[in-house]
Amino acid sequence: MSTLQLTRRRGLAAAGWLGPVVRRLGSGLAVLWAAATAAYVALLFAPGDTVDVLIGDGLDTPERRAQIIAEWGLDRSALEQYGDYLARLLRGDLGHSYILQRGVGDVLSSQIWPTVSLALTAAVFGVVLALVLALATAGRRSRFGDLVGLSELVVVSVPPFLIGILLLAVFSFTLGWFPVSGDRGFVSLVLPAVALGLQISGVLGQVLREGLERALEEPFAVTARSRGITEWRLVIRHALRHALLPAVTLLGWFTGVLLGGAIIIEAVFGRPGLGQVTVSAVTGKDMPVVMAVVLLSALAYVTVSTIVDLAYLAIDPRLRRSR
Amino acid sequence: MKSQWGALALAGVLTLAACGSEAPTATAGDGGGGSLVWAVETQPITFNPHQWGQNKARLLVHNQFDNLIARGKNGEFLSWLAKAWEVSKDGLTYTFQLREDVTFHDGEKFDAAAVKANLDQLVSEGYNPAVKAIQLRNFGSAEVTGPYALKVTLKAPDGIFLDFLASPLAGQVSPKSLKNAKDLKAGGVDVVGTGPFILDRFTPGQEVHYKRNPAYNWAPPSAGHQGPAHLSEVTYRFLPEAAVRVGALTSQQVQVIEGVPATEVGLIKSDPALKLETSLNSGSAFSYYFNLSHAPFDDKRVREAFRDAVDVDAVLNSVYQGTAKRAWSIIGQGSPAFYDASLENTFGNNPARANKLLDEAGWDKRDGEGFRVKDGKRLSVRSVSSAPYVRDRRDVLAQAIQASVKQSAGIDFQVKLVDDGTAQKAYKEDQYEVFENSRGDTDAGAALNLILPKGAAINRTHVENAELDKLLAEASATSDPAERKELYAKVQKIVVTDEALLLPVYVPADQIAHGAGVTGVTFEPVSGTPNSAYDVRIGT
Repeated sequence: MSTLQLTRRRGLAAAGWLGPVVRRLGSGLAVLWAAATAAYVALLFAPGDTVDVLIGDGLDTPERRAQIIAEWGLDRSALEQYGDYLARLLRGDLGHSYILQRGVGDVLSSQIWPTVSLALTAAVFGVVLALVLALATAGRRSRFGDLVGLSELVVVSVPPFLIGILLLAVFSFTLGWFPVSGDRGFVSLVLPAVALGLQISGVLGQVLREGLERALEEPFAVTARSRGITEWRLVIRHALRHALLPAVTLLGWFTGVLLGGAIIIEAVFGRPGLGQVTVSAVTGKDMPVVMAVVLLSALAYVTVSTIVDLAYLAIDPRLRRSR
Repeated sequence: MKSQWGALALAGVLTLAACGSEAPTATAGDGGGGSLVWAVETQPITFNPHQWGQNKARLLVHNQFDNLIARGKNGEFLSWLAKAWEVSKDGLTYTFQLREDVTFHDGEKFDAAAVKANLDQLVSEGYNPAVKAIQLRNFGSAEVTGPYALKVTLKAPDGIFLDFLASPLAGQVSPKSLKNAKDLKAGGVDVVGTGPFILDRFTPGQEVHYKRNPAYNWAPPSAGHQGPAHLSEVTYRFLPEAAVRVGALTSQQVQVIEGVPATEVGLIKSDPALKLETSLNSGSAFSYYFNLSHAPFDDKRVREAFRDAVDVDAVLNSVYQGTAKRAWSIIGQGSPAFYDASLENTFGNNPARANKLLDEAGWDKRDGEGFRVKDGKRLSVRSVSSAPYVRDRRDVLAQAIQASVKQSAGIDFQVKLVDDGTAQKAYKEDQYEVFENSRGDTDAGAALNLILPKGAAINRTHVENAELDKLLAEASATSDPAERKELYAKVQKIVVTDEALLLPVYVPADQIAHGAGVTGVTFEPVSGTPNSAYDVRIGT
């Protein structure tokens, strides 16, 4: 192969990358804009008037209403407020919270790290547990395998709230191994992460096992066996690769489970994080905070799914060429 | 594999032991010491006392802030940061003599100029419109007449001005904070007061931490001791789940919890290592108010019938296992200064009378499901509640009442738990027949002023009664306790007996549970809410 040929190949490879990457990033931005707009429209048509919610049980006089309307710019048309909102977003200004009397960026930035660390720990725990159990039980009909399958079903069906309380009752209240609350280092992260991660391991474990079992029945498995490969090596080297593909697709779904679950888990364990901010913002109709959380969730989704898509491209060159 | 797990568990235990500083450790020294962890249900929206509005967050305010005036056991006003005060004969001029030895946490001197800065801030535009319009509606001006002398002039006599000065809303904030704080309305480490503790760390969603103010020497005479607080530090941890709070207490991870659900009371009482304290809240009782603006509650007979159809004692027993105090009037027993005890046992639990009244009112037929019908319309009444504000298992209580009125009188009581926007919309469009409410104001009169007068902020019964409005106005204008009691007795008679405007259900209460080694956990005398941590100590 001459140098010229190599260079051309590299150029081709880069060109093959460029299109899909730009497309993914563009669609990611479009999704973000759609999420911001959808959130805005939904809140606009939600029952109840923002001024009413701001007043609550307090004094309701025309003067006070006028003051609140002026203070929050609620007298302008919805379209103007929307345009304003998008313009501010582009500048990176998330607005000011009606209820908390603080900048939304401030509120979220102080709460984002606890949630991220909880979600990541939970994800790692869930994935590792699912891998270990799937590898240990795939292709072998045994009591243990049945038990694991059943536990996975139970874990998926039981709400994380209950799992959290049960874990607390056993490992914190009775055994005293872990503290009940707070964000004090790794020890306090264990129970919440387990409660959140179990659900992931339940679903992922089943998908992995099914993929493994299907792969082990494929002709290539027979071929490999006929060459005298050990069963363990066959699972690790060959079957797992095939089983991982559908599992990787689940990553986007993980994001949803982790974000939604974090809301409940943070309340149960008295942990700081985005979950509590979200709940109080939604119930109090704290519009700027709600919108920011929606955008943040959309951003998380878009980032994860873009990475997954690009990972596919990296794994499977056929996908690059076919588009 | 096994030994590795064992090692991991051991590592966990060791780490925990290393973090063991959280356990109660009473250290010797002047005024004791030690640190305490207190689990509370609610994270405050704000730490600025001027913006305070949550009764569940009241216990935090007086750690950090002091008032000019305190309340005594029987509701009397006591000196605090104000050594003495005088009210002119016409009730328009208040002169205050302030303590001269008080400093704010930021080193600023507490003086008459500081008090004036606080009052002026409270009535400044857009700062706290509710206070400006209600508690300080009669405020005229504050004038510094000496370094430690202040004169306040009112536009009209006001019976609740002193109560306001003793309330969390009038906590004294350093003028420097008022000027420089980054987020004044939200409060926090940079909005400081003169109180026995200094807020030094707030982790939203998790906890707030206070350390002792060693210079503190100006506790009110009603406090259990003088000088600095006993505890060297106190942490309030936010645990919204009741079961988790109780578990944290029984496993000694926290030493005090606030908000003990009725279902857990038995467990705590049966544990010799734990103590439970209960206190009735001041203000209005938790009641079902009837909407008079349209059928069927525009008919007094139907209102009385609804009341008589419910066996409140039985309902409370089944829902709260005998831990709830039955209410008999719009004012709860937690406000003994105004409560009219003669209303007790004058109504309720009389299904025969309820059925007779409904027959007379024309609801004399029944449909297939056993509900009463008139002109082809079912006797349906709706209660719409905003879910975020439902506490104390009031949803379960509503279901019990629903079953009770259906069974004994054929009334279709519909309970709707909705989001706040939907609830506000229902109130605005008059799409409800029952309105559930209790208010925790220290002065029960303040609650009545919001609920009863024509056009009042939460007059959701739409009651219009000129005599009632006149009595309420008179009671607000005078500061003579005996006269106010008499006026409010008349108000209660009109509302409870003559108009049958409401079904009083129970008196809201606060519960605190704590380990046996903790002493000095008390309640505020008038509001009935938990006190600050000032008098609390660990060990003997």
